[in-house]
Amino acid sequence: MAEIKGYNMPDELYYHEEHSWARVEGTKVTIGMTDMFQKEAGDIVFVDLPEEEDDVSQGETCGKIQSRKWIGKLVAPVSGEITEINEELEEDTSLINSDPYGDGWILVIKAEDEDDLQAELKNLIHGDAVSAFVDREIARTEEERAKAEQG
Amino acid sequence: MGSISDRAGSGEWRLFKNLTHSVSTAEGLAWDDALPQSVARHGSPPILHLYTFIPSVIVGKYQDIEAALRLERCRARGIEYNRRSTGGGTVIMGPEIVALGLGINVDYPGLKKGVGGVFDSLSRVLIRALDHVGVRAHFQPKNDLEVKGRKIAGLSAASEADTCLLFHTSLLVDFDIALMTDIMNTPVIKLEDKGYNCFSQRMTTVRHELGRNLSVAEMMEAIQTAFEEEFGIAFREDSPDDWEQNTIHRFIEERFTQDQWIFSHRHPRTRMGVGQLKTRGGLLEIYLSLSGGSIEHILITGDFFSTSENIHRIENALKWTSALRESIESNIASVWHDNMIYGIDVSTLTDAILLAKQNQVRL
Repeated sequence: MAEIKGYNMPDELYYHEEHSWARVEGTKVTIGMTDMFQKEAGDIVFVDLPEEEDDVSQGETCGKIQSRKWIGKLVAPVSGEITEINEELEEDTSLINSDPYGDGWILVIKAEDEDDLQAELKNLIHGDAVSAFVDREIARTEEERAKAEQG
Repeated sequence: MGSISDRAGSGEWRLFKNLTHSVSTAEGLAWDDALPQSVARHGSPPILHLYTFIPSVIVGKYQDIEAALRLERCRARGIEYNRRSTGGGTVIMGPEIVALGLGINVDYPGLKKGVGGVFDSLSRVLIRALDHVGVRAHFQPKNDLEVKGRKIAGLSAASEADTCLLFHTSLLVDFDIALMTDIMNTPVIKLEDKGYNCFSQRMTTVRHELGRNLSVAEMMEAIQTAFEEEFGIAFREDSPDDWEQNTIHRFIEERFTQDQWIFSHRHPRTRMGVGQLKTRGGLLEIYLSLSGGSIEHILITGDFFSTSENIHRIENALKWTSALRESIESNIASVWHDNMIYGIDVSTLTDAILLAKQNQVRL
């Protein structure tokens, strides 16, 4: 487990800039939202999930997540067919807050082709780049806060 | 005059302002949904839409409309109902309530980042606007704008096209509480039987605060000025171009006039529960509306000693949060101070809320 600036960002995962994560096992890819997202968003109150067997493309909005009175996007980090949905979330969306990389997983995408999947993973944030991503996100927030306060 | 996209980074925003007539829910909501689309896909600078609705009621994107409203009362009274694209709960709209839609890129300079940041930035604008007309409001974190513990404006938002978002506000210049009580399906109706109207204690309006007849046009003018000051921009009054008109018509036809959208079943289960707990500080009576595992609405009543402002602060800290014990306790604790409710502590209040949760029934 890697903790970066107070956010848990496990080393083995791949991250999309819109804060979805991907755990890759062959062509099976489990998807969820990052710890950084859930800390910023606060209590998740609803997840509008796609249907099993839907096809999604990398970068496509495949679901919606409501926290407070905000509706945010769940962006597919990889392409493929949705083969599983976490039905536990229908009754308990707080799992995304309490265990974002475990019981709070959201769905599973089955990639059609391993080579294509590997090519798509290169578009995601992984390994050493994760720390820079977290720094960038924090800096962006602080910079905008400073601008707003100056204004 | 250049094209829309030439002005996207110029510090000039577009203003769609309608003071001529109140619009239908389908029309108003479709205009709003077109705003982030135009910013994301049509090269428009941010667009502010200020207008009013005909008498109507609008639920949040993921609310159960049949549980939230007494639809037969709406129909009997000629009150339109619809569903918006942003989150949150039920809002009553009408000719004396300013409706605000804003389409803006989340990376716009000066707009704070993240869910909390965006609400914070835009609430500052509205606080400034209210200040301009003489009302001192403050942001009740996570939810609404308040004046002395009473709600005066509701905020909601949704990430829409690409990195653009739609922000919604309803700002109460004047308000018909009796209408709200009649058409909303909440535990409040039970309280009403006891001659107690919780809305009148929890809501206020610009006219009530000022004690004078401020017009909707004056309120809109103040909002416009507040945006210009906060973001250092200037507005240009405009109207939708052909591309935007087509988008609006598409949303009216495909979304806001379709039963599939208005009566959508993509929402958590709604349940309500009442809990009564005798404590050494008095009787606690809790009315709870649950949306899935979250608290959508809570009323804390009873014969204990406290102030309305303190009670509303606790209720607000709990709205749209998880209904699990640890979450309830930590959210109450985040606003709690000694003797907030005389003789009652956080743990006892949590017990009463959990009792209401335990007694929940499906609507």
